[in-house]
Amino acid sequence: MRGSSVDWLAAFLAAVALAAVPWLFANNYIVGVMTVALCFGIWAASWDFMSGLTGRENFGHSLFIGVGAYTAGFLNVNYGLSPWWSLVAAPGTAVLFSLIMGFPTLRLKGPYFALAMLSGAAVMQNLTIIFSVYTGGQDGLNGLDPILDSPLAYYYLTLLLMLAAVVILKLLANSSWGTILRAIRGDEASCQAAGINVTFYKIAALMISAAFAGLGGALYAHYQLQVGPDLFAIVLSINIIVMVYVGGLGSIYGPVGGAILLNVLTESLRAVSEYRLWVYTLILIFILFFMPQGLIAPLWRRVRGLLQ
Amino acid sequence: MRNLLVSSLMAAALVLAATTGRATAESPQPIRIGVNTAIQLQVGRDAIDAVKMAIDEINAKGGVLGRPLEMIVADEGEAASEGPKVGIAAVNKLTSEDHVDVLIGGYDSGVTLGELPHITRAKTIFLGIGSASPAIQQKVKDDYERNKYLFRVNPINSAKQADALLDFISGKLKSDLGYKKISILGENAKWVQDMVPAIKKGAEAAGLEVPVAEFFDVQTADFSPIFAKVKDSGSQYLIVIISHAASDVFVKQWYDAKVPVPIGGIDVKSMDANFFDRVGGKSIAEVSANFVLRAPLTPKTIPWWDKFVSLYNRAPVYTAPGAYDAVYIYSEAAQRAGSTNAEAVVAQLEKTDFIGTRGRVQFDPQHEVKDGPGFVNELFVQWQNNGERTVIWPKDVATGKMINPPWLAQN
Amino acid sequence: MLQILVYGAVISAIYAMLAVGFTLIFGVARILNLAHGSFYALGAYATYTFTQVLHLPLLFAAVLAVAGVAAFGIAVERVLVRPLRRSSLAVLLITLAVALMVEQVLLLSFGSEARNVPSVINATYHFAGVDISAQRIFALVAAVLVLIGLWVFMQQTRLGAAILAVSQDAEAAQYMGIPSDRIYSIVMGLSAGIAAAAGILVAPFQTVIPGMGLLPLVKAFAIVVVGGLGSIPGSIIGALLLGYSETIIAFKISIEWSQIVSVAAVLITLILRPAGFFGKRAAF
Repeated sequence: MRGSSVDWLAAFLAAVALAAVPWLFANNYIVGVMTVALCFGIWAASWDFMSGLTGRENFGHSLFIGVGAYTAGFLNVNYGLSPWWSLVAAPGTAVLFSLIMGFPTLRLKGPYFALAMLSGAAVMQNLTIIFSVYTGGQDGLNGLDPILDSPLAYYYLTLLLMLAAVVILKLLANSSWGTILRAIRGDEASCQAAGINVTFYKIAALMISAAFAGLGGALYAHYQLQVGPDLFAIVLSINIIVMVYVGGLGSIYGPVGGAILLNVLTESLRAVSEYRLWVYTLILIFILFFMPQGLIAPLWRRVRGLLQ
Repeated sequence: MRNLLVSSLMAAALVLAATTGRATAESPQPIRIGVNTAIQLQVGRDAIDAVKMAIDEINAKGGVLGRPLEMIVADEGEAASEGPKVGIAAVNKLTSEDHVDVLIGGYDSGVTLGELPHITRAKTIFLGIGSASPAIQQKVKDDYERNKYLFRVNPINSAKQADALLDFISGKLKSDLGYKKISILGENAKWVQDMVPAIKKGAEAAGLEVPVAEFFDVQTADFSPIFAKVKDSGSQYLIVIISHAASDVFVKQWYDAKVPVPIGGIDVKSMDANFFDRVGGKSIAEVSANFVLRAPLTPKTIPWWDKFVSLYNRAPVYTAPGAYDAVYIYSEAAQRAGSTNAEAVVAQLEKTDFIGTRGRVQFDPQHEVKDGPGFVNELFVQWQNNGERTVIWPKDVATGKMINPPWLAQN
Repeated sequence: MLQILVYGAVISAIYAMLAVGFTLIFGVARILNLAHGSFYALGAYATYTFTQVLHLPLLFAAVLAVAGVAAFGIAVERVLVRPLRRSSLAVLLITLAVALMVEQVLLLSFGSEARNVPSVINATYHFAGVDISAQRIFALVAAVLVLIGLWVFMQQTRLGAAILAVSQDAEAAQYMGIPSDRIYSIVMGLSAGIAAAAGILVAPFQTVIPGMGLLPLVKAFAIVVVGGLGSIPGSIIGALLLGYSETIIAFKISIEWSQIVSVAAVLITLILRPAGFFGKRAAF
């Protein structure tokens, strides 16, 4: 369970590779796609920390993303604050929402918790469209300022924050925190009986997950320079879960790889024009079928086994 | 034997050198037109086909500045499920990787608004052919230096569409037909949410009562409650504003329930030439604002329409005429500027005076296509018997009388 | 008042058909089938193809469509779902992939514009302020008949009893000689067939577009949660509740707010009474 030195070396190499991307592909398109992919990586890793470890699948992760993004939008567009504030305020608002949603729903089991979170996100999406005077409705808010003007600098900022997020989440997952969360997945009643304050750990995990999701939301908003109700969509939550699955549930780093892989895949499938989503779904079915443990994490474990 | 081999190799090398030499010397760099649109939707496909049609015509006459035109398409994706993410990646790809000289496209206003900062950062000209939000061209006014690359060729922006609709309401419904009560129903897209209060106020100022003014979600499947409400309110007409929602089902449900209130307004799907057949004839008597139909709006309209139908076996939707015109407008501006340099072409685009397929195209200071008599106009067209379309407003271009649905007494 | 009663009844009947199939497959096989909306869409598109393209008579086309979609449902269960049964998340994601695939295939084959399926009956009824098409009354009657038929099937036949047994305790049923695997397939086929029938009934007066299955899926989710996952009577009660609250809100407040009802109902139910009305106490 503890990270070995091989793991950290591999992580370092992966970070270097990601940092080298803009030098290898010096155009805004690729850098832009990768920036978005890294945001998805933050979202996927944060989902994995909560749901991958505790087994409580959260189908409403987009709630935290949307809330973070709209916070960034409001502060920047409506109140004219500097975009740097979003990086602080967005996680804060997301954590607030995680408390509001978490307390009444975390006692629910399996599909019920998932559905509750999903409907929470859906309610927010509907409200965003109805109260269009404040939120810009279907078109959303646009005209956000980028945190940094150059797309290159923005990529590095996102990379830095993504790496920080993954390191923090992985350290937590490897610590006694992680052990407890995994134990909750196994048998919650026993944990309770053993004197562990299960509710505290579940809420805390959700809060941490929400904080990073909100941070990713703000980063995304200031890159796209636009926020819209599509950020609350069920589709977004499910796409992230797919990325986690492809990466490998519970590994924290796997989902990042899954996010990057799937984002790059959807873009490279432009070559098949209108068949893009069809091919994507086919590949997805293939992965689900033949790689039930995911792709990235099992692959790494295999490689690591060969090295050691 | 050896000599033969050597001489054939030398001959081959000479031929190769000659042809490649000719290629580099004689085939000029094409001018690249990037088309960013939703390729899985009808509006996207027709835009692409219209651009292709224009490009083929212009290339046959020698191209622009001695260079051929080339089209590169990038999918904007499905706005409802993917948001502006795919569109933003599309314009980044077209500008950063494909190095296009001009962008022609756009459909969903939310996606277009998301794409704009990325387009202007790349200092690439954008000719909009599908998004109607006034916020897009407002940017030209807010920051001319940064946003001067943005032009809208089609459609008339939604604020002007609202004015045209109000003109129809006060001119036709009130003055001509003497109606006293109307209701308004719009989908809850942003531009409609902005439009409806303005129309309600305008209608009331014109002396009409507006008992019901409501919005519905784009995914609404059942309109019976709203029809009942409108009927119970005693309204004599129902103004509808529908763009992304499927008005097919709205119209079918209206017909099936034989709602005793005629409908009309802005219905984007009803602009399609085959809409009447698509709904099994149930859109009879519906009035919808339209930008182009097979009518002599300009001398070019009907020949263009017929050519499109013969090439592609289907009637064009509203993005097609704008896309076709946009290619010509850009080409002529580049020709006048003598280069494809964005700054020079922008200056020439501002001086555009072009007879297109929908009307005469000139741009106002915000780079919006001008509307009004003699320019590009919004026509109010009604589906009449056998799927014929009759222009019933404005008066000076009307081709027939407005009818009522068959289950109501005729005017 | 009468308007609300009548319109609400039609909406509720269709919702009930969707919810019942959804809850059946969950109650029996513990599968949250995200492809349920696809069966609905396929029913409508199949009927369109059979009647408009192949010019088959309507009744024959409808029966063929239901049978075809049911067979498709069985195939999905056997080929895609059964091997992944160990992980409920994997099953969920594969049904999602099926839903996406079906939508893309429909989009590529039929295009994005709505298709027209003609009504069975072309009359309109006007009574006491209610304007309603005959097709809707037909849909209501047909839906009620299908639901009654399902109830009779579950209560009176051996297969129905076997299904109920498997839903209560799959292992015990296996010991009693009931092949659970085969029952899962049959239930999936049944669920798909009912969803397809719902799609066929509403196609004349609702939108037939490739994405038409998404919203009914969300509604089915909502109803099933409120009524209790796995309970058929619960689904029917839930359908009535949702159908009528949507209609009442559309009439009294605004049609815009009626859409938020379903998701809000799910949230409130889960917070207050997660098992729903008749769900088993497996929510905690």
